[in-house]
Amino acid sequence: MLWQQLANGIAVGSVYALISLGLTMVYGILRILHVAHAGIYALGAYVGWFSFRLIGNFWLSLIIGMAGAAVAGYIVERFLYTPLLHLPRIAPLIVSIGLFTAMEEAFRIVAGPHTLAYNARVGLGDLSIGSFHLTETQILILLVTLAILIFLWVFLTKTRTGLAMRACSQDSETTSSFGVNVSAIIAVNFLIGSAMAGAAGVLIGVYDNQVWPTMGSIPAYKALAIVVLGGLGNIPGTVLASIVVGLAETFFIGVLAIPFPRDAVAFVAMILVLMFKPYGLLGKA
Amino acid sequence: MTLLEITALSKEFDGLRALDGLSFTAKEEEILGIIGPNGAGKTTLFNLISGITPPSDGEINFQGKSILRLKPHQISHLGIGRTFQIVRPFQNLDVETNVLVAYGHRFYPSFWNSTKAFKQPEILREVQMLIERAGLQPYAKQLAKNLPLGFKKRLEIARALALKPRLLLLDEPSAGLRFEESTQLMGLIRQLRDQGIGVLLIEHNMQVVMDLCKRIVVLDHGSKIAEGSPEEIRSNPLVVQAYLGKEG
Amino acid sequence: MISGYLITILITILIYAMLAHSLNIITGHAGQISLGHAAFFGIGAYTSAMLYAEAGFPFWISVPLAAVVAGIVGALLGIPCLRVRDDFLAITTMGINFVVEAIFLYIPFFGGAMGIGGINLPKWFGREMTKPEYFVLILVVFFFLLLLDRRMGRSWIGLAWASIREDEQAAGAMGVDVVRFKVLAFILGSAIAGLAGGFYAHFLTFIMPQNFGFGQSILILCMVVFGGIGTRWGPIVGAVILGILPEISRPIMEYRILIYGILLLGMMRFQPGGLLGAESILSKAFRRTIYRLSNSG
Repeated sequence: MLWQQLANGIAVGSVYALISLGLTMVYGILRILHVAHAGIYALGAYVGWFSFRLIGNFWLSLIIGMAGAAVAGYIVERFLYTPLLHLPRIAPLIVSIGLFTAMEEAFRIVAGPHTLAYNARVGLGDLSIGSFHLTETQILILLVTLAILIFLWVFLTKTRTGLAMRACSQDSETTSSFGVNVSAIIAVNFLIGSAMAGAAGVLIGVYDNQVWPTMGSIPAYKALAIVVLGGLGNIPGTVLASIVVGLAETFFIGVLAIPFPRDAVAFVAMILVLMFKPYGLLGKA
Repeated sequence: MTLLEITALSKEFDGLRALDGLSFTAKEEEILGIIGPNGAGKTTLFNLISGITPPSDGEINFQGKSILRLKPHQISHLGIGRTFQIVRPFQNLDVETNVLVAYGHRFYPSFWNSTKAFKQPEILREVQMLIERAGLQPYAKQLAKNLPLGFKKRLEIARALALKPRLLLLDEPSAGLRFEESTQLMGLIRQLRDQGIGVLLIEHNMQVVMDLCKRIVVLDHGSKIAEGSPEEIRSNPLVVQAYLGKEG
Repeated sequence: MISGYLITILITILIYAMLAHSLNIITGHAGQISLGHAAFFGIGAYTSAMLYAEAGFPFWISVPLAAVVAGIVGALLGIPCLRVRDDFLAITTMGINFVVEAIFLYIPFFGGAMGIGGINLPKWFGREMTKPEYFVLILVVFFFLLLLDRRMGRSWIGLAWASIREDEQAAGAMGVDVVRFKVLAFILGSAIAGLAGGFYAHFLTFIMPQNFGFGQSILILCMVVFGGIGTRWGPIVGAVILGILPEISRPIMEYRILIYGILLLGMMRFQPGGLLGAESILSKAFRRTIYRLSNSG
């Protein structure tokens, strides 16, 4: 029973990590709260669903969904955020909110207000060991997120671009004086973060067998709470916070059966942690 | 008369000692120079005095009373004005309004006073005088962001003056200025001293420092390594070492 | 006579204008981001509704009290809020909006999802006010609010707000107690929003939690941004235009949320000062016209 809940919690938490990482990476490098990130998450789900309808292959739809999200993220950065960096930070934040609002409506207008079924099958089959049971989609989630997170870890610690990205989020002026093309690094940052969000969208779409226009609303503020909880801009902190929230949601609702809105857990966790560690679990001043 | 007394002042940031056991005094009607290589802790010293950040250890007394736990706006009220190393005028407000903001410090603490209109003739006259004192008359209605750098620096000083300071903290006022602009600014600072204000002057321009200051404090890596007249400082081997060491 | 439909639109726009004006005090004058302003609108509406419908207080007491309560809550929430950084403030105000809406929705005392009903227009001279009279009442109150705004703009408070908006740290060094003036803006903005909420409750005659959620906050923000953050008339112009357009055009009504989103995004990207901002197309055209006129005479 415990193992089951643990697995459930980690599965949920890892998807949260996929979404929240993009958000924290953008904050780290541009100091902008990229609210529209949740719209890109939903876009990934829609693009994935659409390509699954056309092609019928889950893996391809995943890749295409990630690619679509990545492109969208790049466009947002290039045409909406970067031109506004000289203005007070309230400006890109409002742009982001406007974009998110518009995106959700656009989804409703273009694809219809109803939920669409994303019933992709990979042929893995479920896993059952005694009373421990993982559905195929849960296995997929665990595998895909693990693969992506490993890729991200290798990228950030072992490649020059990754190193440059970490340097940029510390101090972009100094980094550019070392000959790093900061503008390109920012673009890569958005591409990777958005692709991960797109993957999360596809995975959730398949897991819930649902894609719908406002599917980004709850992740929008939940990811914000997670990112603050882990420490704005702090990548390991965000992963930690995502798992913590995933586990907390599963345990409080599943195990302890507390009559508490599941989606409020993230906010409560954030407020609790902020009281003792004002910059988040792993954040610094 | 002693205005400012710094005793064993220290500041630590995440394990880095920005200031270590610094002690000195500043008097009125005197320009005290604070010099030292980059990273010596000079701006940190100003941030501590003006209340932007608290010290890790030590005492700061202004006119005999400790100002350690006060917030920046309270310290301005006591009579300490400062300028910033990178000028920070209120960009989208004009020069007159910039100075008015600082002039208003005597009204802000009382809610009733704050509701009064600021465009009163006597107030505008006094602000006008401050603007003239800083040599900014032709620019009175210009937006701060449109001023050339030299005049932005004068605006910084005019604003600090509106606080009716007894002590003025000037952080590298001549940085980025051409020779004549720098000389004019020096003249203004001398006038302020003659009018009774005490000045703490951070400067990299050695000519300015040696010209303006009768007394100089030298910092290196957060500690005071020398204090004395310009001649004493010039010939002090420790000072030469500190500067040369950076170049070597 | 004026049709019932028209007067309803006019009153709604007027209330939104007051709301936009109140958000402008917080976001435009003092430069503090508030993404949950509808919460105070809701607090005012519910206070007034419950004082009237449950406790029997007349309109003339319930509505001013609504403003007071909203202002007090604004102070209580504002003080801890405003000690935090920009970004935290944005998230916190969003969170406050969700929490307040959830309180109205889940706690039975507030009527739950069905909200509160039975709230009537005020009585005077022994009879109930007509809608046109109600409109004039709100207009008069709003007029005084605008006078107050003008007075604040010319006072040291307005100057302090301008300095905080431009550069908080420099403002502090100039003797401005930054936290105190931010809280003042918050209190004033939330009190006026609460007042608008009181007027709203008595006009709509029933209120529901959904009226006061994040979407409503976005709409108010949109009006302020579109009209011109920080200007006196901008938010009002924004409220009027965004209030009228959906009524006169069916397609605009259909797609209005999409339009709000695009407006927010487009205005901030290309004309951050809004329609009445100093750098806007409209303002520049206006100045050019004046220039030509004065040079041709």
